[in-house]
Amino acid sequence: MAHIKIANLRKEFGVGDDKVVALQNVNLDIEGHVFVSIVGPSGCGKSTLLNILSGIETPSSGTVDITQDRHDANPGYVFQAARLLPWRSVMDNLLFVQPDPDAPEARERCQRYLDMVHLGDKGDKFPGELSGGMQQRVGIARAFAVEPDVLFMDEPFSHLDAITARSLRRELHDMWQATGKTILFVTHDVGEAVELSSRILVFAKGGRLEDDITVDMPFPRDAADENVAVAKAHVLKKFEDLDLVAT
Amino acid sequence: MTAVQERQEQPGKSAEEERLEAELRREKQRKWFWRILGYIVVLGVWELSSGWVLEENLLPGPIRIIQTFPEIVATGRFFSSFGATLTRIIVGFGIALILGSAIGLLTQIKWFENFFRDFQTVGLTSPGLVWALVGLIIWGFQPMGWIFPIVMVTFALVSVNIAEGVRSLPKDLIDMAKAFGTPQHRRQREIVIPHLAPFIFTAVRFGFSIGWKVTVLTEVFSSNEGIGFEMRVSSQLFQLDVFFTWVLSFFVFALFLEKVVLQYFERRFFHWRQEVSTA
Repeated sequence: MAHIKIANLRKEFGVGDDKVVALQNVNLDIEGHVFVSIVGPSGCGKSTLLNILSGIETPSSGTVDITQDRHDANPGYVFQAARLLPWRSVMDNLLFVQPDPDAPEARERCQRYLDMVHLGDKGDKFPGELSGGMQQRVGIARAFAVEPDVLFMDEPFSHLDAITARSLRRELHDMWQATGKTILFVTHDVGEAVELSSRILVFAKGGRLEDDITVDMPFPRDAADENVAVAKAHVLKKFEDLDLVAT
Repeated sequence: MTAVQERQEQPGKSAEEERLEAELRREKQRKWFWRILGYIVVLGVWELSSGWVLEENLLPGPIRIIQTFPEIVATGRFFSSFGATLTRIIVGFGIALILGSAIGLLTQIKWFENFFRDFQTVGLTSPGLVWALVGLIIWGFQPMGWIFPIVMVTFALVSVNIAEGVRSLPKDLIDMAKAFGTPQHRRQREIVIPHLAPFIFTAVRFGFSIGWKVTVLTEVFSSNEGIGFEMRVSSQLFQLDVFFTWVLSFFVFALFLEKVVLQYFERRFFHWRQEVSTA
């Protein structure tokens, strides 16, 4: 079971007068098959937190431990833009991040996840031949195809139209339920967070973790459902109480 | 989907495809028409000018040159001269490619950028003739006499292109690869090299075309073989038909390199762009 432990995490960018504190005093413990959304205003350090957890950035101070049954956990990442290699086919993009891309089972695994995002027949296409929504699905398949213990997702649906985003949210939820991963999901959209998450972390400007909300409602959740609307209003109220809306 | 439905949908789709194919065919025919017309007009004006505007001895026409060509081939000098010139450009430009790439990579470090900046500008702007003369004065007919000018006129072009490529490395893709723990050598092979390929290709294409010119120039001054040397000898002997045959052969060869060899590699390396643009 995946376990994320963050202690006294701080991240600064720049030096002297240009110094910006992106994260400060962040302490977190996330374990097991949970879907954790991270919400907050722009510039509150949400993406920086994912970048540190995934090893793209290093913390200024504090510690981050991600383990799977006491070993280093295997991470996957879905970015805001799909970030596919334009010169490689869809299948090669999935194989690129595989630990052993030449193994026949790697290709089979990639094909399975392409099928899962309904792009099983697009393996030979180049990313530029696909729509934005399809490219994002390839990004999701790529992340799932490494069979990660922990999956990081940074506003993966924010560039998509509402209908495509809704359909991908459903696919993501089904895949999360089917695979039992730990997912950390950054979003601007409180409704999206309530619909998908078992836990919501609220960050404020300056990179402080302001609130940690457990969303105790059965899945699947429909945005039109009254309980979801109530829960969304509850989280938004927290935003207002924390004075995050205006920022 | 039933077979009947498939048959119903097929003609509509293929009609659209046929219309597009016909349009592409017409476009291709138009392109070739103007291309061939260009050749007919230029060669026609040249042929007519020979004898009408200038004496045939001063300006031999293309027909005369075509007749002279087998005579030069029969002497055995044609292939040896082309071979000599081609060897020079491969050696000279090969050195420039290695040196220019190294400088291009080094200029990512600010200190080296300042160190090389003005030399790159000098390399880009100075005429090949200057370096050909410098090479002749210092080394005479020795190999450095032609290697030096080729390297001097092409290294800057390579270094500027490589530097531009390295400066614009796709950080988002590199971060993506890091996030997945992709090993460094695979990142280099699958991200850095494909990203740099168009920059290297541009450097090779322009470097080669400039290298050609300066190679022939150095052969005119400081060589006893090669196309430039043959041009010098024939002009000194006032064998202008031979001279123009060498000139024309040179043009044809340069066109062959550009249109056949380089474009073949371009299609091979960048076929994904074509797939995407026709999608």
